[in-house]
Amino acid sequence: MAKLEASDTVVLGISIDSPAANAAFAKQIGVTFPLLSDMNKEVLTAYQILKPYDVKGGKYQWAQRTTIVVDKDGKIQHVEQGDSAVNPNSAVSVCTGLHKPHGAS
Amino acid sequence: MKRIMICLLLLLAGHFPAAAQEDAIAKTNLKVGDVAPDFTLLSDKWEQVKLSDFRGKKNVILAFYVLAFTGG
Repeated sequence: MAKLEASDTVVLGISIDSPAANAAFAKQIGVTFPLLSDMNKEVLTAYQILKPYDVKGGKYQWAQRTTIVVDKDGKIQHVEQGDSAVNPNSAVSVCTGLHKPHGAS
Repeated sequence: MKRIMICLLLLLAGHFPAAAQEDAIAKTNLKVGDVAPDFTLLSDKWEQVKLSDFRGKKNVILAFYVLAFTGG
């Protein structure tokens, strides 16, 4: 996380959980970055990462595990999906790389 | 016996595409260079967080996860 702060990067977690659930989750895992609630699934829809899950015969639509890096211009610099998106290393290296051109500022 | 085993394996293999579909990645069409769709969402502290508020200031890593209290 220190590496990310040094490269002017913030992390936003996003899921369909309620703020109350996210607050308890943040406390349990000890994260300091915001966990956002996409309860209406608007963002998941806009990012096209709603995924059907089948739980005990019930059908649900939750997030596809995805990591997206957005630069300071609001443009996407990196997209990673599926199991590899659990590991943040490549997203982190993209961000520390993004910092270099701005190093002088 | 060997032939039966092979037939069984082939039969089983026939079932895998369905299982694989279940695990298929909901692949986004967003790609590098696209403008990230803006959004405003409530944080775990009940504060509004707007993606475009970071524009010109911070890079943002969006980490989408399935559900709280689950691995990954």
